[in-house]
Amino acid sequence: MSTSDPSKLISKADKLTKLSLTRWSADWKSATVLYEQAANGFRVARNYEKAKLAFEKASQGQEMLSSPWDAAKHMESAAALAKELRNWAEVIDFYRKASELYMQCDRPQPASDALAKGARALEDALPDDAIQLYTDACVILEDDGKEQMAFDLYRAATSVYVKLEKYTDAAAFLLRLGLAADKCNARNSQCKAYLSAIIVYLYAHDLKQAEKCYNDCSQIDAFLGSDQNRCASKLLSAYTEGDVEEIKRVAQSSAISNLDNVIIKLARKLP
Amino acid sequence: MTVIDLITRVDAICKKYEKYDIDKHKEANVTGDDAFARLYGVVESEIDAALQKSEAAATEKSRATAVAMNAEIRRTKARLLEELPKLQRLALKKVKGLSREELEARNDLVYSLKDRIEAIPDGSTAAAKQSGGVSGGWAASSSYTGIKIDSSSEEAFESEYFQQTEESDRFRQEYEMRRMKQDQGLEVIAEGLDTLKNMAHDMNEEIDRQMPLMDEIDEKVDRAASDLKNTNVRLKDTVNQLRSSRNFCIDIILLCIILGIAAYLYNVLK
Repeated sequence: MSTSDPSKLISKADKLTKLSLTRWSADWKSATVLYEQAANGFRVARNYEKAKLAFEKASQGQEMLSSPWDAAKHMESAAALAKELRNWAEVIDFYRKASELYMQCDRPQPASDALAKGARALEDALPDDAIQLYTDACVILEDDGKEQMAFDLYRAATSVYVKLEKYTDAAAFLLRLGLAADKCNARNSQCKAYLSAIIVYLYAHDLKQAEKCYNDCSQIDAFLGSDQNRCASKLLSAYTEGDVEEIKRVAQSSAISNLDNVIIKLARKLP
Repeated sequence: MTVIDLITRVDAICKKYEKYDIDKHKEANVTGDDAFARLYGVVESEIDAALQKSEAAATEKSRATAVAMNAEIRRTKARLLEELPKLQRLALKKVKGLSREELEARNDLVYSLKDRIEAIPDGSTAAAKQSGGVSGGWAASSSYTGIKIDSSSEEAFESEYFQQTEESDRFRQEYEMRRMKQDQGLEVIAEGLDTLKNMAHDMNEEIDRQMPLMDEIDEKVDRAASDLKNTNVRLKDTVNQLRSSRNFCIDIILLCIILGIAAYLYNVLK
């Protein structure tokens, strides 16, 4: 059966699902099976448009069969194909739908994974939507109490913000990352997040904000006794003195080189 | 004439002219009741010894021995200066057999003695001057002389100092270079340790992150394993039931009957 023409399979499946005089209830089970086969066939034939359609229909079928897990899986495949076709609106749609279906299965982690995949696909094309997806993914994880997984998402979102040159938002995200790290006792990540936030503020030439941020962070014991704290204080003092050499030297130091790549680039470009 | 004869003749001549021997008289004087003369003799001999030692120290090549000798000279000087007040008191005492001029001469002798003591070079004459000024009641004169001699001794000090650095300059340079190299090496090590520390922290956090995941996996795998075991047991039961010999025999008998009937019909219809 799998060797037969996928379009034929699709038409057969369509016939099975369409309600007519001879058919009082759609036969979703066999239809879904046929849709899946057709979709695989199309994918192998690299007919992405039709494959996407087939996956959509398969997912719908699985939903009707009350198996949201399979439905979500098909949705994700459809979304991946939509990404190939660069149909961004559909990408967003599909990934969101997949994530909802995962939540229906009570599996928040794949849900946020789906959103993260969507966001990554959209980073270049629609950065704002990407950020939205990242935020939603982080919210899902935080609700579940698994902030540790959110670290990567926060970092990715920050890099998108930095690319968009929205530095205050980037710094805000970094502070959220610090908060999440605090909840998990991930001290190193927390201190790195705060140091990155200070650097972002300095890059935006916002010395007052950077100092305020530094004061806020100094309230936290974990940050106070860390390497990153010393580095931040050195940086701020170099800034207040206007000593370019000192700034460059601090930026070359090892504490900063351990941060995210995007932040390192900002630090090197500092004054 | 043999040597022994010569020696005896010399001894005889010496004894004859003993009264012209000034040194012996001096010694005789010293061993007499005159405490002043005794002390004076002692001090003078010690000054001579100190002078000799200072000359030896000046020509000494090794800095360490020179410094040690200078320290000894300084100690001797300090001791002598301490004894000077005693000498002065003794000088004022009237001793029988001594004229008034000699008494006054003794006072002057004591003063000059002090100058001679302090003039002994010991490598740090300025410090000696000050210590001399502290002991005894010579404050006024010593401070005056102190000012005068201070400048000259400083010059002497400096020239001596310069000599030292010329000798140990190379050593100091080497020491500085080695220290710089050590600093550089330590910096490299510090940076490497920083990187290690960061990696270790990240690994720590990663492992913390994966621990609950592993726990979940563990649980799920346990559940799946128990499910499989159950299913296996049930399957075994079912297959056993199917394969029970009674059913098998019945199947074979019925099959034979059907074959027999078929053969019969075949024969009949042929």
